[in-house]
Amino acid sequence: MEGTNNEFEAFNAFLESGCEPHYVHLNQLKRREVSLEDFSGLFLPGGFSAGDYIRAGAIFANRLRNSSFIDLVNFIDSGKPVIGVCNGFQILSEMGFLPGLDKKRAIALDHNDSNRYECRFTYIRRTSKSPVFRNNLKLNNPYVVPVAHAEGKIRFDAESTLEKLIDSGQVLFKYSTPDGLDGDYPWNPNGTTESISGLSNTEGNVIGLMPHPERLMDDNIRYSGNHGETTIGKAFFSDLKDYMSAF
Amino acid sequence: MPKGKYRVEIPLTRSTVSELSSLSSNLALGLDLEEMQRLQHYFKTMGREPTDIELQAMAQAWSEHCCYKSSKFYLKRYFSGLSRGNAILAMEDDAGVVEFDQDHAYVIKMESHNHPSAIEPYGGAATGVGGILRDILCMGAQPVALLDSIFLGETWKKHEQGALSQRFIFENIVGGIRDYGNRVGIPNVAGSVDFDSTFNRNPLVNAGCVGIVRKDSISRSRASNVGDVFVLCGGGTGRDGIHGVNFASENMKDSSSSNRGVVQLGNPIVKEPLIHAVLEANEAGLISGMKDLGGGGLSSSVGEMCLAGGVSAVIDLDRVILKEDGLEPWEIWVSESQERMLLAVNPSNLERISKIFSLWDVSYSIIGKIVEGKNLIIRYGGEVVLDLDLEFLTSGPVYCRNYTLPEKKSRDYVLPSEPDNILDLILSFLKSPYGCSREAILRQYDHTVRGSTIIRPISGKPNYETHSDAAVIRPVRSSMKGLALTSGSKFDMVAVDPVGGTYATMFEAFMNLLVTGARPDSVVDCLNFGNPQNPAIMGSFIQVASSISEFCSSFNLPVVAGNVSLYNETNGLNIKPTPTIMMVGIVEDISKAVTTDFKKPGNSIYILGTPDGNLGGSQLLKFQGIESHNLPWYDISELKSLSSRYLEAVSSGLIESAHDVSSGGLIQTLCEMGFGSLTGFDVDISQLGGFRTIAKLFSEGGCRMAIECSPDNEEKLAALFKDFPIFKIGMVTEGRVRIEDCGLEIINTEIMELRKPWDSGMELIY
Repeated sequence: MEGTNNEFEAFNAFLESGCEPHYVHLNQLKRREVSLEDFSGLFLPGGFSAGDYIRAGAIFANRLRNSSFIDLVNFIDSGKPVIGVCNGFQILSEMGFLPGLDKKRAIALDHNDSNRYECRFTYIRRTSKSPVFRNNLKLNNPYVVPVAHAEGKIRFDAESTLEKLIDSGQVLFKYSTPDGLDGDYPWNPNGTTESISGLSNTEGNVIGLMPHPERLMDDNIRYSGNHGETTIGKAFFSDLKDYMSAF
Repeated sequence: MPKGKYRVEIPLTRSTVSELSSLSSNLALGLDLEEMQRLQHYFKTMGREPTDIELQAMAQAWSEHCCYKSSKFYLKRYFSGLSRGNAILAMEDDAGVVEFDQDHAYVIKMESHNHPSAIEPYGGAATGVGGILRDILCMGAQPVALLDSIFLGETWKKHEQGALSQRFIFENIVGGIRDYGNRVGIPNVAGSVDFDSTFNRNPLVNAGCVGIVRKDSISRSRASNVGDVFVLCGGGTGRDGIHGVNFASENMKDSSSSNRGVVQLGNPIVKEPLIHAVLEANEAGLISGMKDLGGGGLSSSVGEMCLAGGVSAVIDLDRVILKEDGLEPWEIWVSESQERMLLAVNPSNLERISKIFSLWDVSYSIIGKIVEGKNLIIRYGGEVVLDLDLEFLTSGPVYCRNYTLPEKKSRDYVLPSEPDNILDLILSFLKSPYGCSREAILRQYDHTVRGSTIIRPISGKPNYETHSDAAVIRPVRSSMKGLALTSGSKFDMVAVDPVGGTYATMFEAFMNLLVTGARPDSVVDCLNFGNPQNPAIMGSFIQVASSISEFCSSFNLPVVAGNVSLYNETNGLNIKPTPTIMMVGIVEDISKAVTTDFKKPGNSIYILGTPDGNLGGSQLLKFQGIESHNLPWYDISELKSLSSRYLEAVSSGLIESAHDVSSGGLIQTLCEMGFGSLTGFDVDISQLGGFRTIAKLFSEGGCRMAIECSPDNEEKLAALFKDFPIFKIGMVTEGRVRIEDCGLEIINTEIMELRKPWDSGMELIY
C-alpha cells in the first residue's frame, strides 16, 4: 500500500534465492483479485505505510485485518511462513500475530532511545531454534545487517510476556557486537529490551524483525570487519526458500 | 472575449507608469516596470484588456525562476558548445539523460529550493526533494538515489532578532529531507553540509536525484500529438505554493509568516504510489509525454510541453481536482501544489491507465486536449478566461545585465602563527563545524533502502565508519557497472576568486569520483547567487559559468542539466557565490571500487600529486578567522595524467584505500582514513615541499590523494606512476598516530583521541 517502500529489495532477494516472487497490493486482496492461498509464503516489507503518521504500521494492520483476516489466519495455520521486516514487523505485532500469544496485541514498537531515525549497520545473531532457518543462517553467529528505523524498541505489555517468549524460544534474533555478545548503543541501535531484534510465534512460522536482511544480498556492498561466510541476506532467504518448498 | 461570471478583466492598457508598478505589486506579479510596459504594449496591439489569469500566467512564465531571463544568455554561451560525451539528452528536458550501458540510461538533475527553505525550512527542504524526484520521474526513470548539498548559517551563534533561529533552520532542513526521502524510499547517499555567515538568512538547499531507465522507455517533456488529452494525476490542487516562483525571483526581506503561503506542502505518501503508477503506465507505453508540476504549476507545465511539441491546448480548469473549495481560476492555474504530474495520453490508452491508477489509489482527471494552433485557450465554467499566443507567453525576456569583473589582487593572506602544540590545533579543528563528522545528519537519511548502495556515504567498520568520497549505486542488478555520485561547492574559494574557486569545486567533484575508482561521466550544475542586478555578482556568475565550461571541455565532460537560483539576498546581504556541482562517474566493476578506510596495518601510505602549501581559501583560515585573498593552483594537465594512471592502478587492484586531499587538508585526509577502521598512521611529511608544517597539513590545493598500497604491489605502483609526483610517506599502524616533519615529531597520539572530537563536533551545533 502507499508508503510501503522496501518491496524492491525484498522482491530481488526472493528472486535471487530462486523463488518466484509476486508483488501483491493490499487493494488486490481487498478487491479479491488475488488469493493468498495461491502463495507459499508472505513477506510484509518495510517502509512507512500511510506515512506512519500515527503508530507505525497501525493503518496497514487495520486495512489488512478488514480485507483478509480469516485468510491470513488460515495461511498461518497451514504452516506457511509470514515474514514482516521493519514496518512489516510493526504490522504483524499490531495485528496480534506476533508474538501470537492468545492472538492478542502484546508488544509495541516504541521510538528509538535516540529519538531519531537511524540508518546504520550493526550485527544480529539468531538465538533460538527455528523450523524456517535450519541450514544456512547459523545459530548464534553474528551477521552484519542494515537497520533503518525510528520506532524499533520492543515493549512488552507485561514482564511475564517477555519471560514466556524467552522460555518458549520465540526470541529469534538479538542485536549483537561483532563478537556475538549483547551490546549497548550503537550495537543495540534503539535501546530495545535485552537487545531483542526479532520474534516468532510459538510455531515459528510467523517471524518479525526490525533489521533488513533483504538489503544485504549483494556481496559487493562495502563494510570492513567480520564478513563471515555469507551475507545475512543470502543465508536468510535461502533457508526461507527451502522451507517454502514444502508448500 | 465577452465578460462573464469567471472572466475578470484587469485595466492595463491605459494605466500610467506608476499605476503599472502598483498593479504589479498589488497582484504580486513580481514583474518590473519594463516588463509591465511590454505587456501593456502587447494587449494594446490586441485591442483588449488582459484577464486576471492572463496576467498571472505571464508573471509566472516571465519570472526569473521559469525563464532564466538574467542567466539564459550566458548559459547558452558557455554550455551549448560543450561536448555531449555519452549524453542522450543534455540541457533539453527536465533532466539530463546519459547512456549507462547498451540498454539503459541514467537520468540526473539537481535543483535549488532556497527561498522556500529560508522561510519554512521543513516544508521547503521536503518539497525540494519531492520536486527533484518528479524531474527524474517525468523522464520515465525509476529514481535510484538522492543527494543533497545544504549550506547553513552559523548555527552556533546567538539568535538574531526577527529571524528564524539557525538551529531551527538546521534541524528543519535536515528533518524535511529526512522525512520526505525516507518515506518515498529512495536512498539518500551523498551531498555536503557547509556553514557560513552569509547563509544565516539565506540557507541553500540543493537537492539532486539520479534515476535509471531503459533506453526505449525514455519519456519526453513535450506534447506533440494533436488529439492526445492532458491527464493531471497525483495530489489535488490547493492554495499552497501560489506565487512561489515570483517570490523566488526577488530578494528576501525579513522573514515573515505572511510569505509561508508561497511554500508548497509536500506529501510523500501520495508521491510514493504516484511513482509506481506513472512508471508502470510509462513502461506499458501508455504515455506520449509527461512533465512534473513544479514552479509555476500548470501554467508552466502546459505551456512548456505545448511549446516544445509545437502544438497548443484547450484546458478546462473546472476539471482539475481540488484540495479545497473556492479557488479562483487563476489560483488553480498557478498553484504549485506538490505530487502532481501532467501526462499527454492518447485517448485509446485511457482505460488501461485508469486501471493502473486505480490499483495504486492515485487520483487523476482529464483536464484538456492538445490541438493545433498558436494560442493556448483556458476555459472555466464554459467561459474562455485565457487566450494567449503560446510563444509570447512562454518565451520570456532575455537580459544581458551589466557586470564587472573583480580586480586582479596580489595580496596574500596573513600567515597564521605556528602553534606551539599542533595536536591541540588539529583536535580543535576536527571538533569545529568545518572539520567534524557529518554522521549525526546522514544517519538520519536512509541510505540503504533498495539494497543497491554499494558504497554508502560512510565507509569502514560498522558503527565506526568514516566519510566516503563518493557513493556508489548498482542501478542494474544484472550488470557489474556502478554509478558514483558526489556533490558540493567550494564557495569559500569562489568568494575569493570565482575562476579559481570554480576550478577548486570542479577538481573536488572530479577527485571524489576518481579516488572511488570511477571515470567522471557527466556534470549537473546548480548555481546559487545573490542579486543579479548587482554588477559584481553578475560578473562572478559569468566567471563561474565560463570556468565550469572550460573545465568540462578539457575533459570532454557534458553538462547535462542545470539550475540557476538568483536573488539569494536578504536585507542587502548576498550569499557567497555558490556553484554546487553534482558529478556522476561510471565504475566499470563495482567489486573493484575503492573506499576511504585504511584496510591493514603494515600497508604503505603514498601521496599522489604535486605538494601544495598554499592555505588560501582553506577551512583552516576560515576556522581561524583569517581572510583569504588568493587561492592555490589547480593544474588540469596533472589531473589528466593522474586520472588515467590511477584508474589503471584501481583496475589492477593495487589500491587498498584512497582519499583525496580536500577540506581540512592532508591531516583531515589521513585522520579520516584511520577513523574508518580505527587504525593509525606513522608518516614523515618532510618530502612534501618546503612549506611550513601547518601549510603541509592544512593546504587544500592541487590534485592530491593519499593511497594505501600493500607491500606486495609497491613495485607495480612505482612503475605505473613513473614520471608522476609520488611520495611514500609512511605506513598504516594498529592505532598509533605519529607525524614527523624535518626530523621533528609533530604529533604522537592514538587514533581514538583524534576520533572523539571529530565524532562529537556536530552534536554541539545541531
